[in-house]
Amino acid sequence: MSTTNPPKPLFREDGKRLSGREDTDLREIKMQVGIFKKAQGSAMAEWGKNKVVAGVYGPKEVFPKFLADPYKGIIAARYIMAPFSGAEEHGRAGPNRRSLEISKVVRHVFENNVLLQEFPKTGIDIQMEVIQSDGGTRVTAIAAASLALIDAGIPVYDIVTPISVGKVGGKMVVDLDKDEDNFGEGDLPMAFSLRTGELLLWQMDGLISRDELEDGLNKGFEAAQKVRVVQEAALKEKYGDFNGSDTGQN
Amino acid sequence: MIVLPGQKVADAAQPGQGVFIEDNKTYASTLAILRDGRVIPQKGQYKPLVEDFVVGLVKDVQFNGYHVDVNAPFESFISNRESLEEFKAGEVVSAKVVEVNELHEATLSQPRKFPPGTVIEISFVKVPRVIGRNGSMLDMIKTATGTEIFVGKNGRIFLTGGNIKLAIKAIGKIDAEAHTQGLTDAVKEFLEKNKENDA
Amino acid sequence: MVLILDKIKAEEVKALAAKGERLDGRGFKDYRDIKVDVRPLQNPEGSAMAHFGDTKVLVGVKVDLVKPFADRPTDGVISVNCEFTPLAHPAFEPGPPKEESIELARVVDRAIRSAEVLPLAKLGENPTEDGRVLGVYVDVYPLDHNGNLTDAASLAAMCALKNTIVPKIEGDLLIRGEDGGKLPLQRQATTCSFEVVSGNIFVDATDIEEIASYGRVSIGVTDDGFLCAGQKSGAAGISRDKLLELADLALENRKFLFSKI
Repeated sequence: MSTTNPPKPLFREDGKRLSGREDTDLREIKMQVGIFKKAQGSAMAEWGKNKVVAGVYGPKEVFPKFLADPYKGIIAARYIMAPFSGAEEHGRAGPNRRSLEISKVVRHVFENNVLLQEFPKTGIDIQMEVIQSDGGTRVTAIAAASLALIDAGIPVYDIVTPISVGKVGGKMVVDLDKDEDNFGEGDLPMAFSLRTGELLLWQMDGLISRDELEDGLNKGFEAAQKVRVVQEAALKEKYGDFNGSDTGQN
Repeated sequence: MIVLPGQKVADAAQPGQGVFIEDNKTYASTLAILRDGRVIPQKGQYKPLVEDFVVGLVKDVQFNGYHVDVNAPFESFISNRESLEEFKAGEVVSAKVVEVNELHEATLSQPRKFPPGTVIEISFVKVPRVIGRNGSMLDMIKTATGTEIFVGKNGRIFLTGGNIKLAIKAIGKIDAEAHTQGLTDAVKEFLEKNKENDA
Repeated sequence: MVLILDKIKAEEVKALAAKGERLDGRGFKDYRDIKVDVRPLQNPEGSAMAHFGDTKVLVGVKVDLVKPFADRPTDGVISVNCEFTPLAHPAFEPGPPKEESIELARVVDRAIRSAEVLPLAKLGENPTEDGRVLGVYVDVYPLDHNGNLTDAASLAAMCALKNTIVPKIEGDLLIRGEDGGKLPLQRQATTCSFEVVSGNIFVDATDIEEIASYGRVSIGVTDDGFLCAGQKSGAAGISRDKLLELADLALENRKFLFSKI
């Protein structure tokens, strides 16, 4: 948020962002599914310089037992930043208030996304570890977690596709990097179920007008389509050499 | 054709495994293959069904029976009344699912301790492939290896005797290539080629 | 932990909502009676208690001289904290802050900080010789949780900031009790929270309505018509159009809310 620090000019003379990107350009995103042996489902997402690994365990027994819901499964989500993940000084290990809040809103994303009614009295654990951060870690974490759930074979209503949008230099731009997040005028992380168009995650800080919100939501939805392509490619790479045809023998 | 979760698979309501219905249309909920208009899930959690034969691991001994792990996230129970045999925690048994409640918790019957052998685990969705049409795939492996094999519906497989290593490798091959065509021939070839090597 | 009786009442709420009604007879967009006590306490530099129906949230503001953050030596410091004391609700347990109270504190903080209600540069304007700057601590204390703690908290916080009297600073010392003027506030901000119950949107939900709710959206608004904070909480998904509707509604409600402080 802007303070006494002279705001870094976030746009170059040619109108492009400092990174050379246009308003609606995304950073490079790479994802991989099924990268760990122990976790039932796993995935890694590299989004710009962000790197997040996600692992899923479950559905399994809930401890302590009184937390279990007799009608549906429950989700426990844990978002943690490794102490070496930031570009600056060594951070503290373990959760802090910010990571607890993020864990909560990420849990809500998947509470809506997993077919929890198929697993009464059980729990599903989603662990997201940020091993390198550069603006947009929660969005990277959600992208990985969604694939990890699918890798674990847990039934979901859709792939969850996250994206961040922000206000930088008076304009709404897509996919903020760290500088734009720190020195821009607004940050809106969001996640869509593109199938229904519904937002499963939406947060905002900054100062924007109602029309800028509309512009941001629409730009986010458009950009999310590109993120979705990467997610699907990662799943197909791991599982997609299905060349079964109609005459496949059993 | 691979199907991803959230993808529409039918314009009508066609309930089944690995799908959900919304607004009278059917969508995949897990990774699946679409073959002959059928959705074949490639992933999933085993849910006990009545009549299933399973391979279970005795978890703990209660005063009235045993809690058994059947590789499902739901509890399974064998009552003392089912057998005069006594079981200990950690023992592997075969059993039949005779009752399942709305919470997918199962009551098992006909528990039988396995003789010494090996238990391996594959995803339960691959079990039909391991068994094959009319048991043809399983018979092929049994003949080629001389191994006694009991395939539980829950994805756990008990093996004893014969060329166990080869049998396990063959099953592993099916697990990895369950979605391909010509699998039966491929496994046949594999067994023939490796018969002498692993004896 | 949800009490059994509350759960039963929540089912009633859902059933009524499907018929277009609320338990207390309010319209979906109606607030309960709102009252804000200005400066009920003398010891904190600023204070306020907001009443939203039976919900009571007390906010105390303390001002201190603090070491600034290393990378921002001429910025003041604002810190918002929230304590869910067991006094306020039978389900609140003593101990370190749980995720709900952390979330509330961070949403209120976001609204105040993003709106630059209190520009940090101004707070840090006259550091002492040993480099300390003004630090403003906003502590949110729900005393009676009957729903919508977030909105009551942010309104009380805004009111408390408005009536905060900065202690006089002489040299390197802060002299409490002596009037050093008001905080350099530049605008007002508060939040408007909506609960999704049986597909309907409730404004100013009671605690039972919150249990019946499938999800919440809290939107921060400023007196000059900007959006300054957003948080979708709970499982409910929301379409872009619906979200914009809520933003419009929040902006509409702001005049009413700010009129209370």
